Amino acid sequence: MENLSPEIVLRTKGLSKKFGKRWAVKDLNIEVHRGDVFSFLGPNGAGKSTTIRMILTLLRPTAGSIEIFGKDLQKNRSTVLSRVCGIVEKPDFYLYLSAYENLKILGSMTRSVRRDEIMESLDVVGLKSRVFEKVRTFSHGMKQRLGIAQALLTKPELVILDEPTTGLDPQGMKEVRELIKKLARERQMTIFLSSHLLSEVELVSTRMAVINQGELVTQGAVSELLDREAMEYSMEVSPLEPAVELIRRLSWVELLSSENSCIEVRIEPGRAPELNKILITNDMEVSSFYPHRTLEDFFLKVTKGTSEI
Amino acid sequence: MKLFWFETYKTFSRWRTYISFGFIALIVILTEVVMKLSANEILYRMMRSFEKDFLIFGNVLNGWFITAFIMNSLHIHIPFLITLVAGDIVSSEATSGTVRFLLTRPPSRSKIITAKYLTTLFYTTGLVIFLALICVSLGLILFGSGDLIMNYQARFRIVFIPETEVPLRMLLAFTAAVWSMTVVASLAFLFSTVAENSIGPIIGTMAVVIVFLVIGNFPFDFFRMLSPYLFTTYMIFWQRFLDDPISWEEIARSATILGLHSIGLFLIAFAAFNRKDIKS
Repeated sequence: MENLSPEIVLRTKGLSKKFGKRWAVKDLNIEVHRGDVFSFLGPNGAGKSTTIRMILTLLRPTAGSIEIFGKDLQKNRSTVLSRVCGIVEKPDFYLYLSAYENLKILGSMTRSVRRDEIMESLDVVGLKSRVFEKVRTFSHGMKQRLGIAQALLTKPELVILDEPTTGLDPQGMKEVRELIKKLARERQMTIFLSSHLLSEVELVSTRMAVINQGELVTQGAVSELLDREAMEYSMEVSPLEPAVELIRRLSWVELLSSENSCIEVRIEPGRAPELNKILITNDMEVSSFYPHRTLEDFFLKVTKGTSEI
Repeated sequence: MKLFWFETYKTFSRWRTYISFGFIALIVILTEVVMKLSANEILYRMMRSFEKDFLIFGNVLNGWFITAFIMNSLHIHIPFLITLVAGDIVSSEATSGTVRFLLTRPPSRSKIITAKYLTTLFYTTGLVIFLALICVSLGLILFGSGDLIMNYQARFRIVFIPETEVPLRMLLAFTAAVWSMTVVASLAFLFSTVAENSIGPIIGTMAVVIVFLVIGNFPFDFFRMLSPYLFTTYMIFWQRFLDDPISWEEIARSATILGLHSIGLFLIAFAAFNRKDIKS
């Protein structure tokens, strides 16, 4: 019989880290499935970087365990990390070496890398023309792309990125987001990325977890999490009055306002398509129908407004 | 081996590594040229204390003597030059942030720290060999060869080493100097492992070396009592190879103590690096 449950690439069990008397991460249980672009979301200081550092063995957990590819990380560190690539905070390279030398050294620590492989990965991120220039001449955005080139080079199955668009201009952010989606789509890599930029998560992620004050708030598919709560919608409907009358008769829809052919309603989770269908089958012309909800609303709600973002 | 090669490549790709070699070349060339220009004055000062008692002939102010003279006067400078790399080799990775890349790769921390330590020893050895080569070659070119006369004033001894024996004695002396400098390198390496910047380990190591040298040379009973416990006391054991007879027992004792210091310091660095949380 075919096993339909997704393969878990990364799992933390009761993962905790204490600095002095303060719990930076407490009893964290998350699961990342193969093929996910998994966003790890939380306000500044929530424990995202601490978690990533534990996953990449930069920090020793105070308690709990980490499994990657079904293997305990502590016991199988070398084997596991040969299939993982991580960039923590910002990609820092040896500034006195060229892009080529950096990739050669860092890539060869995982496996033997050939010159053509280095050139190919630099080509993908658009740095082939700067291959022999010292990294000290690179902008922040170029270093970020070089970091991704390094990730491509070792052909990892799991790529861990800590706030990959931090410090980039809008164009740079867009490029990195496109690159992340491309890695997941074309190279079947599982991406685990932390971010405090909600728009970023909405644009690239398939699944997410929200962490606040070191503890997991929620996790799941982005679409499911966002649709779980009653959402507000706006719609342009003609004619207006019959539509308002019709909506008032529906117990699962709350009318919020109506003017100038625009209606605002609150609908029970998952029933927006049903309302749209009712309006159309009753000969009403629906020219627009869109949710008010954003990930930001969701995030502020689940973190009970403690976020500073 | 691959990690050692990468560390060596990185070390010798940085210009700061060559400061030490440049400084040594400059100071040796300057010293030997000045000594050549002031040869008569130096010879007079050398000979006046024992020319009444001994009949000395031949080339006394020769390349071997100049080499021994420079070795004697560089016991502060060389440790400082060693700390420039040894104190920086681990901490610079933390300062630049590259430690995060380095420690998330498959090789274990144990392998990485060992490769860095071997690179530190390689650099230290290279620096002392460079000193030896430039001292001896320039010395022999400018001053020629001859018997070596060592005047150990503190022990009221004058030692004559025949020209034929000098090269081997010098080789052994420089090997001992490498062994001594390994302790300084290990100390700087330890500080580099626990620090997040390079200045601290360099200053810290030099502070320890200078304080120990000062304590070891104070003419008071209390400090004399401490002297056997200071590694700096044993660092000039290379001089025993330019003595007659050679005190093998003293050499073995000094080499053992210094070796144990190096191993001990490395093991502490090894443990500290393996347990270190990378927060930077």
